[in-house]
Amino acid sequence: MCGQSSALLFELMSEMFALIDGNSFYCSCERAFEPKLRGVPLVVLSNNDGCAIARTDEAKDLGVKMGDPWHIISKRPEMKAVQWRSSNYSLYGDMSRRVYELLLDAVPFVEPYSIDEMFMDYRGMPYDLTEYSAKIRETVLRVAKIPTCVGIGPTKTIAKLANKLAKKNRSGPGVLNLADPAHRASAYKDIALGEVWGMGRASVLKLEKSGVRTVADFVAMPSDHVRDLLTVVGLRTHAELRGTSCISLTGLSAAKKSLAVTRSFGKAVTTWTEMREAVASYATRAGEKLRQHGLQASAMQVFMHTNRFNGDAPYSGGLTVEIEPTANSFALIAAALRAARSVWRDGYRYQKAGVVLVDLYRASELPAQMFPTRDPAKSAKLMQAMDAINAREGRGSIRPAHVPVQASWAGRQRNVSPRYTTRVEEIMCARA
Amino acid sequence: MADYKGGETTGFQSPAQDHIEEVVDLAALLDLRKPGMYPVRVVGQNLKERGIDHNDILIADATADPEAGRVCVAMFGGEVILATLKRKNGEWFLLPSKGEPVPVTADVDVWAIIRALVRIDV
Repeated sequence: MCGQSSALLFELMSEMFALIDGNSFYCSCERAFEPKLRGVPLVVLSNNDGCAIARTDEAKDLGVKMGDPWHIISKRPEMKAVQWRSSNYSLYGDMSRRVYELLLDAVPFVEPYSIDEMFMDYRGMPYDLTEYSAKIRETVLRVAKIPTCVGIGPTKTIAKLANKLAKKNRSGPGVLNLADPAHRASAYKDIALGEVWGMGRASVLKLEKSGVRTVADFVAMPSDHVRDLLTVVGLRTHAELRGTSCISLTGLSAAKKSLAVTRSFGKAVTTWTEMREAVASYATRAGEKLRQHGLQASAMQVFMHTNRFNGDAPYSGGLTVEIEPTANSFALIAAALRAARSVWRDGYRYQKAGVVLVDLYRASELPAQMFPTRDPAKSAKLMQAMDAINAREGRGSIRPAHVPVQASWAGRQRNVSPRYTTRVEEIMCARA
Repeated sequence: MADYKGGETTGFQSPAQDHIEEVVDLAALLDLRKPGMYPVRVVGQNLKERGIDHNDILIADATADPEAGRVCVAMFGGEVILATLKRKNGEWFLLPSKGEPVPVTADVDVWAIIRALVRIDV
């Protein structure tokens, strides 16, 4: 068969997707290296040890909700038994990479949708998809140490829904295949619309008003009616739930449109000196990310705001500025600090700030500057050198002078586990 | 950054310029980038007879099947230990460096098989 016709055949094969996601992914990463945490309730907290962002089943059963502030709920007597860890993103990122690479051995294409969820291309698989998924789960658990669930369907939305149902059924097989329309139709009767990927709260409320509550009710609606009631996104979800694939797999190379580095402070920032450090750090990190993707930014947004919920005097400000297209950290810092200075107001207790780079281009796509103020080749070389040193010696080894070594505003992380897989001095110990 | 790798020179042309290679890559030799490979630090001297000493770095492979006589990383009783695998009457056992053989049951996790050893400062 010649190449062209086999490519055509591939096109004609009907779409089939699987979504695999790690159960309580961050907790599972911790448990992989710390057997004491297995079988006990465990939560992982957000950046500043603030809120629960991952919970094991045991912790969910004790009533820990997503986003619960740990310093408050940990006072409840039943939380005594709950173990907690600060978030260790270096570890979670590397474990996510391991999962991704294992999946690539099993299927031709994998889309890492988030750190703990990946879509797989199941088109034209010559296997029983349920059995194949079970094997993939087994391998990911044995090799990457992460328990998972898999949902299968002819559209991404159905695969996502199947995954959710598989996860809900804790004692079940961990795989749910909704490829069969009859099977789907009966499953849809018991699923509330809010469970569906891409279905916003406003849409759900609108539909409920017209008596549409379950997914079965929704797919029974005529498309015209859906179009009148919801937006194009709603219509797309409707088609996807009916089995017509509208959302295809996306590669990582699809150009990013914006790039944000935003963080809540460990403690409220009240002085310009601290804010300047924070904004410079974020701009530096944004520059690193930009260069990793081979991009340049030509506009930047800087924002800062106070805590809206704790009774502090409210202030929220932001500014978008155009910049000469660049990926140079020093240029980004300078622009970010100018913007931040004009947004800054004395006398407030700032809780969060951020630097968002927008209007991103591949360096090669940029129109030539008529009067460039920097030598782009020289600037690129300097940045390359900086990134290379930081890659070798660890992030922040060399940094612009505006960026502090240990910042007073940085997050408190009081219980962070070792970076078992990425730092030689922190690898797992085994007793001989 | 050091751009000179023995190839490009400013005066006399380097006879090596078409033969420049990268420095030996130990991560590649040890397969460290594979998704099932984990580095592990040895704590304790009870495996000295196997040539494994305190503070050595072992490379553990989670894709490898158990094999009698191999050293493995195992997790049980909430601990991470090194033990030798043994097969008897079709059953697997862990031979810890000290103490009784432990039958590999559901609550014993044979986590990965040791494939290589790295020792710094020999």
